[in-house]
Amino acid sequence: MVVLKLRSIALAAALGLACMLPAHAVEPSVRLVVKPLLCVLDKAATSCMMSFDIRWKSVAESEYCLNDTLGPAPRICWGAALAGGTVEQRQVSEDFSYWLGAPAGTERLAEVKISVLRVDSDDRRRERRTRHVWDVL
Amino acid sequence: MLAVLCGLAASVHAQDAAAAADGSAAPAALPRTLPPESHWRLGLAAGYGRRTNPLIQSDDIPVLVDVDIAYFGKRWFFDNGDLGVEIANNDRFTTNIVARVNSDRAFFSKTNTKYVTFTQLSGGVTVPIRDPGTGTPLAEPEPLKPPRRDYAIELGFETLFDGDWGAASVRAFHDISNTHDGYEIGVTYDYRITRGRFSFSPSFGLAYKDRRMTDYYWGVHKEESSLTLQPYVADGGLSFEVGLKTNYYMTKNFRVAMALNYERLSDSVGRSPLVEQPYVFGYFAGLAWSF
Repeated sequence: MVVLKLRSIALAAALGLACMLPAHAVEPSVRLVVKPLLCVLDKAATSCMMSFDIRWKSVAESEYCLNDTLGPAPRICWGAALAGGTVEQRQVSEDFSYWLGAPAGTERLAEVKISVLRVDSDDRRRERRTRHVWDVL
Repeated sequence: MLAVLCGLAASVHAQDAAAAADGSAAPAALPRTLPPESHWRLGLAAGYGRRTNPLIQSDDIPVLVDVDIAYFGKRWFFDNGDLGVEIANNDRFTTNIVARVNSDRAFFSKTNTKYVTFTQLSGGVTVPIRDPGTGTPLAEPEPLKPPRRDYAIELGFETLFDGDWGAASVRAFHDISNTHDGYEIGVTYDYRITRGRFSFSPSFGLAYKDRRMTDYYWGVHKEESSLTLQPYVADGGLSFEVGLKTNYYMTKNFRVAMALNYERLSDSVGRSPLVEQPYVFGYFAGLAWSF
C-alpha cells in the first residue's frame, strides 16, 4: 500500500513537471551545422587543411550570409531561401567561428566554433614521460 | 569500451582518408607560433583499467580514475608528485633536478595474509613438521605475508630531448631518505604519431636499479625469513618496459584515451620469493578531460 502511494506521488510529480514544461522544446529559428569541428596539430604542423561541410536550415525564408570571425566580409550569401549548404576548403591555424546572419547584419543567428588543438608543447617538461601506467593524460 | 574504440578508430580511418585527400594537418609554410600555455595542467580520466601486482599475496591495482595535476613555472614545476627545477634548457635538451617518490613501494600497499599448514607423512600418518630452529612441532598454521616496505624520497636529474625522431629522456636518481640508499638510472624513448584526431604513442624504456635499492624492496631479509619465506638477496639488474598510449580527440578538452604498458622486472627480482610473476602489465581505457 505504501509503495502504491509513493508511486502515485511520483507519478503526480512527474505529470506536474511535464505540465510546467512547454509542449515543444524551443527550436532555434536558424540551425547551422558544420563538420569537422576540430583541427589537431602536432610537431612541425602549423595548420590543418580542412574541408568544411556547412549546412544551414531556417524556419523563415530570407536572405542569409555565412560569415566567420576571422574576416569582415561574408564568405557566401544566399538569396531568399529556407536552407543552404556549401563546402569550403581552407587552411586553419587558430580557433574561429562560422556564423550565419542577414546580409550586412551583425546579429549572429547561428554560430559554430572551430577549434585548433596543439598536442605538443614548446616546454619539454610538459612532455615528461610519466612513470605509472595509470597516468594516461 | 574496446568496441567504442574500434568504432572510433574506423571513423578516424575514414576521416584520415578524407584528410589525406585534402592534405589535412600537413606542415605548412606558416611560422610556428604557439599560443601561451597556462602554468597549470589539470585533467581527469575516468574509465576502467588494472595494473597487475607482481608481489605475492597481493591484489592487482584497479585504475578507475586518473587525476592529472601539474604546474609549470619558469623554472620550478610540480608534475603529479614530482617536484623539479629546470637547470638547463636549449634547442637540443632540457635538464631538470627532480625529487620524487619511489614507485616500487606502490606494490606493497595492497597485501593480504595467507596461512600455511606444514605437515609431513610419517609411517602412513600425517603429522606436523618440526620447527628447524626449536625442534618443536608446528601445529599452528604459519602466516605468509609480504614484509612491510617504506616509501623512499629520491633526488636526481633528468634530461629530456626531442626532435622529428621522437622524444627521449635519461635519468638518474638516488635515495635521500635513508630508506634503501640505492640508485636507479634509466632511459626512455617514445614517438607520437598524429593522424587527424587520432594520436598513437609507442614507447620503450630501460632501467637499472642497483643492489641496495632492489634488495630493500624485493629481497627477503634475515629478520623477515620464516618457514613460509626463505631468505633472499636480490641483486641489481636491468628491467625494460614497452607501452602504447592512444588518444582520440573528440573536442579540444575531451578525448577517448587508452594505455597499455608491459614491464619486465629484472631477473633477480623475478626470482625473489616475494614475486609471483616477473612482470607488470597495465591497461586503461576511458574518457579524459583536460581543463
